[in-house]
Amino acid sequence: MIALWEGFLQGVSGVVNIALIVIPLMIVLEIAQANGWLQKINRYAARPFRAIGVGEEGVFPLVVAIVFGITYGSGLIINHVRTGQVSAREAKVIGTFMAIAHALIEDTIIFFVLGAPLLLLLVPRLILAFLMSYIVYKRGGAPSGKGNDLHSP
Amino acid sequence: MFHVTGKMIEKGAKAGVATTWELAKVVVPTAVVVSVFRASGLLETITAFFAPYMNWFGLSGEAALVLFSGYFINLYAAAGSIMALTLTVKEITICSVMLLLCHSLLVELPISKKAGSSLGYIFLIRLGCSLAMGWVLGVVLP
Repeated sequence: MIALWEGFLQGVSGVVNIALIVIPLMIVLEIAQANGWLQKINRYAARPFRAIGVGEEGVFPLVVAIVFGITYGSGLIINHVRTGQVSAREAKVIGTFMAIAHALIEDTIIFFVLGAPLLLLLVPRLILAFLMSYIVYKRGGAPSGKGNDLHSP
Repeated sequence: MFHVTGKMIEKGAKAGVATTWELAKVVVPTAVVVSVFRASGLLETITAFFAPYMNWFGLSGEAALVLFSGYFINLYAAAGSIMALTLTVKEITICSVMLLLCHSLLVELPISKKAGSSLGYIFLIRLGCSLAMGWVLGVVLP
């Protein structure tokens, strides 16, 4: 019974710590989005991604995935491929990148609050994401495998 | 161009509260389960079993619980486990980096597939990066 209560208290105090950071941050993110800052970031962000074969159109879903999460990024990718703004090959490069590096704000906060150093939470993830998607790009896109959702109607 | 309206703050705060609530639904039960694991002695059994493997990453056996809850459930579950255990900062750091590279597989692998990548390929890349990075950090971190 004591174990139940102890675990509950530990969990709740952890949630409070995270809430104190997440709520103000979401307000800042909302203001950033409403002011169109994301589109501006997109323009500057396009350059490093050219090296892994991602064009201007593909950068936006990638930036969205990096900031908001893989679900939002994937939604945009599916839409961009459907409308022909992004090729299936590009989608695989972007898919690889965002599988490794996504929701960099939310995910990072969770472990930062628990005491892990910020740089170690961000740098290895970004380096590995670039490295892996570069390999996928050079190999001409990752194997899509059977039943790839983008190619089935 | 910069303007802030009450509506933006309201919308942001709502998103923040929603995120916190989503997280609380996972963190609190996980912390309770891990706490019960510990009190019942089950944690020691799990710890003893995984200790030799966790050693490869500079982690104690307990950390297996953190990695599993992160890999299969999500990062909040892993955070709940960390809160209920007593890990060193080094161990928390290694677990964090490993988990950031590979997590919530049951939810995110299908999402990756929907976005046009092969499921097995993304699984291998993510788990491979996670294990490799864990090994490197286990060796490098003081």
